[in-house]
Amino acid sequence: MNAVEVRGVSKVFNAGRPNAVEALVGIDLTIEPGEFVSLIGPSGCGKSTQLRLIANLTEPTSGEVLVNGKPARAARLDQDYGMAFQQAGLFDWRSVTKNVELPLELKGWDRARRRQRALEMLELVKLSEFADHFPWQLSGGMQQRVAIARALAAHPPLLLMDEPFGALDEMTREHMQVELLRICGQTSTTVVFVTHSIPEAVYLSTRVVVMSPRPGRITDVIDVDLGTHRDVETREADAFFKKVTEVREALRGIDTTGIEPDIEQALEEPVEG
Amino acid sequence: MFLLALVLVTAIWELYKLVGPPDGGTVFGWTILPRANDIAMPHVWEMLSRYADPERRGSSTPIAVIVLQGAWFTFRIAIVGFAIGTLLGLGLAVLMARFKVVERGLLPYLVISQTVPLIALAPLVVSWGGRLSLGAFEWPRWLSAAVMGAFLAFFPVAVGTLKGLTSTPPASLELMASYAASWRQTLFKLRFPAAVPFMIPALKLAATASVIGVIVAELSTGLAGGVGRLIIEYARQATGDPSKVFTAVIVTALLGLVMVGLVGLADVTLMRNRPREAAE
Repeated sequence: MNAVEVRGVSKVFNAGRPNAVEALVGIDLTIEPGEFVSLIGPSGCGKSTQLRLIANLTEPTSGEVLVNGKPARAARLDQDYGMAFQQAGLFDWRSVTKNVELPLELKGWDRARRRQRALEMLELVKLSEFADHFPWQLSGGMQQRVAIARALAAHPPLLLMDEPFGALDEMTREHMQVELLRICGQTSTTVVFVTHSIPEAVYLSTRVVVMSPRPGRITDVIDVDLGTHRDVETREADAFFKKVTEVREALRGIDTTGIEPDIEQALEEPVEG
Repeated sequence: MFLLALVLVTAIWELYKLVGPPDGGTVFGWTILPRANDIAMPHVWEMLSRYADPERRGSSTPIAVIVLQGAWFTFRIAIVGFAIGTLLGLGLAVLMARFKVVERGLLPYLVISQTVPLIALAPLVVSWGGRLSLGAFEWPRWLSAAVMGAFLAFFPVAVGTLKGLTSTPPASLELMASYAASWRQTLFKLRFPAAVPFMIPALKLAATASVIGVIVAELSTGLAGGVGRLIIEYARQATGDPSKVFTAVIVTALLGLVMVGLVGLADVTLMRNRPREAAE
């Protein structure tokens, strides 16, 4: 059974009106369990929309999305996936532990079981000693780790991430990438990851999906065979640079006319702040 | 800071007495400046010492006791009014947040309700209440006053809470959607906690409004025992005993402060773990 199956999906915003926008056209994508797939492309290529379709936060105009072999809606209702956004989105009024417990609370777990799982998750993201802190007392990277712990608290087989490290500085970002690979390896979670950053996509992924705008579509799928064990060395290896170049060239082929200049720049460099 | 302000107000009061015209200032025949004589503006120390004197000749109870008893009476009714108003306001806010249609239909009427003169409404409420009899339950007169307090209190709560409930960050709502949370779960785990910073100022307004509502109700329906009634009574004796009415007025103002203080306590409790606004 595939973790994610997207068949002939298209998405039109404001359909039938003069300001209709074809966000996605003819998307086919199959993701197997254990894969780490990045979606990369310029703004407006529909990569976030595609993630939201998989998450069933929006419905496709046509086509079909299956998650874990079920329709996306059923998968969402069963909490078959966890999600992390660019903003950690922790609840200010809840302690770190309580934030991680949130999805379990919504599932109706009892207090003791919730507490135990939350502490396990915090250990996994190496934040045990901050269990009773409040989100505003943590740094951005730590907040994002709590958000990952929260997304994985119910042990979903699938993790959906929308530029989760986009707001972090470069050093924190690289550290978070290492941590994410470790966490996903330990929990054998399938990941779909939206990013602007080419090195990030290459470092993390087993497959990079290159997308292009107007209308949003998949133009290239690049396998990244850097092995399952990746560390600091990986980033400095020739194979890594070759892949980065390959993805960059795939992106360069994309016609970016009509895209705002700052977004073109975002293609060249990872977005900071 | 509060004490400093108090000293300032006292100083301004006394200063005006010193320099102000005793019979009021007139500009083109209009009396504009207030009279500064001892009947219109008694000295602050006279008001304070008045608290220790008996209420009327031949009685031994100091007026402070009478006024505080009146304030306690009014306070209890105001608390009931505040509670009813808050519950009503919260209920309406939830309804309006849930159904856009309700908001569109209801909100204008809520605004209109606040333009109805309270003083005209109070006798009506009393007469309605008098005709209500739910089995063994008989509508007490003080409940009408509480209803008037609630009538003023519910509005800021409803509007403030509605604003709070609809200001939830979209990303957080999406997060709850990704967990397939029900509307109820989202309401109690996300929308309400996120609305607290909007609700506190609304509740403070409601706290003072409920005191005003009860006092106006006391005045216009002749409910005896409260500090509002004392104000009227003492005002009639102002020529002979000018400081008397001020004893009641000052205590009424303090009553409002106490009510707001209670909300402030709730604020501190609810927000103790939140970031300071400056940190955001």
